[in-house]
Amino acid sequence: MTTSTTSAPATAQRARTPGGRRGQSLLDTKRQWWGWLFLAPFTVVFVLFLLVPLAYAFWLSLHTKGIATGGESVFTGVANYVRVFTDADFLSGMARVGRFVLVMVPIQIGLAVAIALVLDTLATRLSKASRLLVFVPYAIPAVIGALMWGFLYSPRFGPASDVFGIFGLAAPDFLSRDLVFGSLVNIVTWQWVGYYMIIVYAALRAIDPSIYEAAKLDGAGNAAIAFRIKIPMIASSMVMIVVFALIGTLQFFTEPTVLRSVAQGAIPTTYTPNMYAYSMAFSYSQFNYASTIAFALGILVFIGSYVFLYATRKQSGLK
Amino acid sequence: MTTVTTQQSTSRRPRQRRIGSHLFLLLAVVYFVVPLWWLVVGSTKSNSGLFVGSGGALWFNDEFALWDNVKQLFTYQGGIYWTWMRNSFVYAIVGGVGSTVLAVLAGYALAKYRFRGRNLYFSMLLGSVMVPLTALTIPTFVLLSQLGMINTMWAVILPSLLSPIGVYLVRVYAVDAIPDEMLDAGRVDGAGELRLFFRVALPLLRPAFVTVLLLTTVATWNNFFLPLAVLRDPQLLPVTVGINQWQALSNAGAGGEQVWNLITTGALVSILPLVVAFLGLQKYWQGGLSLGSIK
Amino acid sequence: MRRGLRRAVAATAAGLAGLSLAACAPGDDAGSANNTSCTNEIAEPDATRVTLWAWYPAVEQIVDTFNAQHDDVQICWTNAGQGADEYGKFSTALEAGTGAPDVIQLESEILPTYTILDGLADLAPYGAADLEDQFPAGAWSDVSSGGSVFAVPVDGGPVGMLYRADIFEKYGVEPPTTWDEFAQAAQDLRDAGYDGYITNYATNGGAFNYALFAQAGWAPFAYDPAQRDQIGIDVDTPEARHVLSYWEDLIDRGLVSSDDAFTSDYNTSLVDGTYAVYIAAAWGPGYLEGLSDADSGAEWKAAPLPQWDPANPVQVNQGGSALAVTSQAADPEAAATVAMELFDDEETWKIGVEDAGLFPLWNLALDAPWFTDRRYPFFGGQQVNRDVFLDAAAQYPGFTFSPFQVYAYDRQTMALYDMVEGDSTAADALATIQDSLVRYAEQQGFTVR
Repeated sequence: MTTSTTSAPATAQRARTPGGRRGQSLLDTKRQWWGWLFLAPFTVVFVLFLLVPLAYAFWLSLHTKGIATGGESVFTGVANYVRVFTDADFLSGMARVGRFVLVMVPIQIGLAVAIALVLDTLATRLSKASRLLVFVPYAIPAVIGALMWGFLYSPRFGPASDVFGIFGLAAPDFLSRDLVFGSLVNIVTWQWVGYYMIIVYAALRAIDPSIYEAAKLDGAGNAAIAFRIKIPMIASSMVMIVVFALIGTLQFFTEPTVLRSVAQGAIPTTYTPNMYAYSMAFSYSQFNYASTIAFALGILVFIGSYVFLYATRKQSGLK
Repeated sequence: MTTVTTQQSTSRRPRQRRIGSHLFLLLAVVYFVVPLWWLVVGSTKSNSGLFVGSGGALWFNDEFALWDNVKQLFTYQGGIYWTWMRNSFVYAIVGGVGSTVLAVLAGYALAKYRFRGRNLYFSMLLGSVMVPLTALTIPTFVLLSQLGMINTMWAVILPSLLSPIGVYLVRVYAVDAIPDEMLDAGRVDGAGELRLFFRVALPLLRPAFVTVLLLTTVATWNNFFLPLAVLRDPQLLPVTVGINQWQALSNAGAGGEQVWNLITTGALVSILPLVVAFLGLQKYWQGGLSLGSIK
Repeated sequence: MRRGLRRAVAATAAGLAGLSLAACAPGDDAGSANNTSCTNEIAEPDATRVTLWAWYPAVEQIVDTFNAQHDDVQICWTNAGQGADEYGKFSTALEAGTGAPDVIQLESEILPTYTILDGLADLAPYGAADLEDQFPAGAWSDVSSGGSVFAVPVDGGPVGMLYRADIFEKYGVEPPTTWDEFAQAAQDLRDAGYDGYITNYATNGGAFNYALFAQAGWAPFAYDPAQRDQIGIDVDTPEARHVLSYWEDLIDRGLVSSDDAFTSDYNTSLVDGTYAVYIAAAWGPGYLEGLSDADSGAEWKAAPLPQWDPANPVQVNQGGSALAVTSQAADPEAAATVAMELFDDEETWKIGVEDAGLFPLWNLALDAPWFTDRRYPFFGGQQVNRDVFLDAAAQYPGFTFSPFQVYAYDRQTMALYDMVEGDSTAADALATIQDSLVRYAEQQGFTVR
């Protein structure tokens, strides 16, 4: 990121140096306009549906409107931010999301890479079919997916009692407080692994196989080829899917919200910061504080993702 | 294949490994397919058959109610289910294609044109990928109501034209996929910028185009909370929100309205188009997804 | 100040939008709130149109009846979701300053939440105060305050005890009439070999749990809309502790289950014999009928709610709904007409009772023989209104809810869930709820008494 910000003044300077040709810089000016022209349609949408709402939300977060004080909005500066970073509900939600990141992201990525590596070494009919079947859950809307798993976790609708019954065991309650974390990890994993797998698989197919032959001649086994050659060579894909998984997890919302309809005790409204913000706004009419929560979350997500992207800027091609 | 057979004659290990690999795949497939199998089975059951059936959760009941359920989808609440399906199609196609076009144009500009503010713009874009949607829902609602668009299709379509992640992907891809030399050569030959975009850049960007189209179409098809907030006319809802409302209705059970059979059947029918599209068009999108492999 | 900025933001946005949307702007801009398409057919297109959000499926027939009877006012009905879904949309519309309907169906427990936001119009100027004697006293006190009337009662939820006569008979246990007998019956059923639970205590019951507390004389809130910066919060009282400890004990002994309510599993447990008793509001039976084929041998009966002190019986209410006029109504007078007249005839109520399983709060329906003597096939022909619910509705004294009721329910669910999971006790749970509500009220600028 820093490399890219420094490159802008560098080019500007180059144009102004005595050696720079005047014609070239004129062309640049004209071309600048073309750049903006191509950007324009997106920019309109970007400003209208991102920057303007964001500015308004930020403005909301600096104000407070107590329901008892006649609905008058008062400027309170960072008071809401002080409140949110000392709010036990927000902090515990953040901690929970942190745990989701630590558990869910490695599982998803690990499983996706494992399946992709296996598929990459096989060319059988089963492998082709499984590539598609593993991918299919991605085509299912998150709401429908979570709804389905809600049924499957249910002691009555679901198969768990049948399956555990075979071994003479009572089925665990997947929607209890202890297990609901794992149940949510499972839903997200089921839904997204196929997509990540396809990205990794496509990247693997793009590697020139002659590299493996050379490695084999050097005596490298399949595991060594996978870890020493294949994975480093698909680093940019890996970075991309980790960013997807990271952002998705930090903003965790849809699955716990849908699953909440069958587990209101185990998944309280404060389960993740995004859910907390949503209920603050839409259930309690606390739009100012809801915006603050969303912004506080945004700041933390931003820092997290930026650090990650910065640390991996070489691999992701952002340099 | 030939290398495998020759190896087999010398050692048993690769074969074992292949069996191991296939077993692993088989397990993975079972995991990913069982929930779908449940849905298929579930949609053949009547409302009470879902709770107390002869077949258990993963097998068919004696009574086969799929056709009755589908028929009921056509009659329940005046067949509103099919209106929802149509809406989902409209939202996904207009939103998906629209946002992809905008993203390709913008990503190309950010990758191949030098202009003041470009890096700032790109940084903002990257940051915006991380903005939680809840932060935007309320102000977007206010904005749309000022524009008189609440409870219209525009309220869903316009915000879904925004795909910063799409721009990001196209930009990352375009940097290497379109050599500057090719553009410069075109300019030397007197080609205009528009012509360069359509004749040189666009064909090279095809994989990125497909990837982003896939991403945005699926995202719009899956759209849930935006329509939930900005629509209230049941005739405008996408199928995701509609089915979720049926679930809320059945859970709350007002006046004995329990339509679990329609929820399972409706869910099954609603996922068919996308599943069929993915399976049918695999040779198009699988190539496109190699996007991340650009070094 | 706030308006100003909002307008500036909107103007900028509208300007920008104009650039790209000139070609595809929606046809008619004016009065967008009234342009929403209606779910029902409008009989008189030229009449004043009043938009209505309501969730009962039978509303469409009722709206048609109204529209056929009125040629000056026509209702344009939309189902904007049930309960929380609808409230979320209404809250957003209030915050945005636009987008609310003219008339909205609400539960009376949520009325203070919206009156304090100035979201509802006072109907007294339109003659609603004159309607007082058309409704039971408790129901009327739930929708009015001082001289103001914030909604017109529609249906109520007087609470009774629905039980499986066949189960009680099979195990030789008498249906209880007091809570002491209830606890004994729970044990007796278990001892006799019944492997279900006498009933379920749902931690997410919200209004259900409130009703059980209220029966012991619990009055957690002191709030008067005329003094909107003052509130009394008294959740953690001896009455509440007594009730909650009672249930905690039954749950600890494994005699009462603590499943979440409003899930498919819970619904099934209600009808398949897992629970022998369903403590339910009058709309409960309609709830069960949708799944009645799950257990063909079931024999349901209704009885009055068990009492703490049989010498001084107390009746309670859970749920029900009312019609309110929103502060964004374009024509408040026409809207008030709809709120007051939509449910004021017998034909309408026959639809409501027969098709939607509602319990009317309209005295003319409550007194009508077709309602009082109605035999319910679900209860084997029992006249449940006469036997149970009419008395319960007549004796219900009313209840004061807080102006942040959704928050209060959510906190209650969290604390009760901790209790049934064994992480805390009844006393802890009530103290936790009390603390969180006081803190929240203070953050909102209330003086907490």
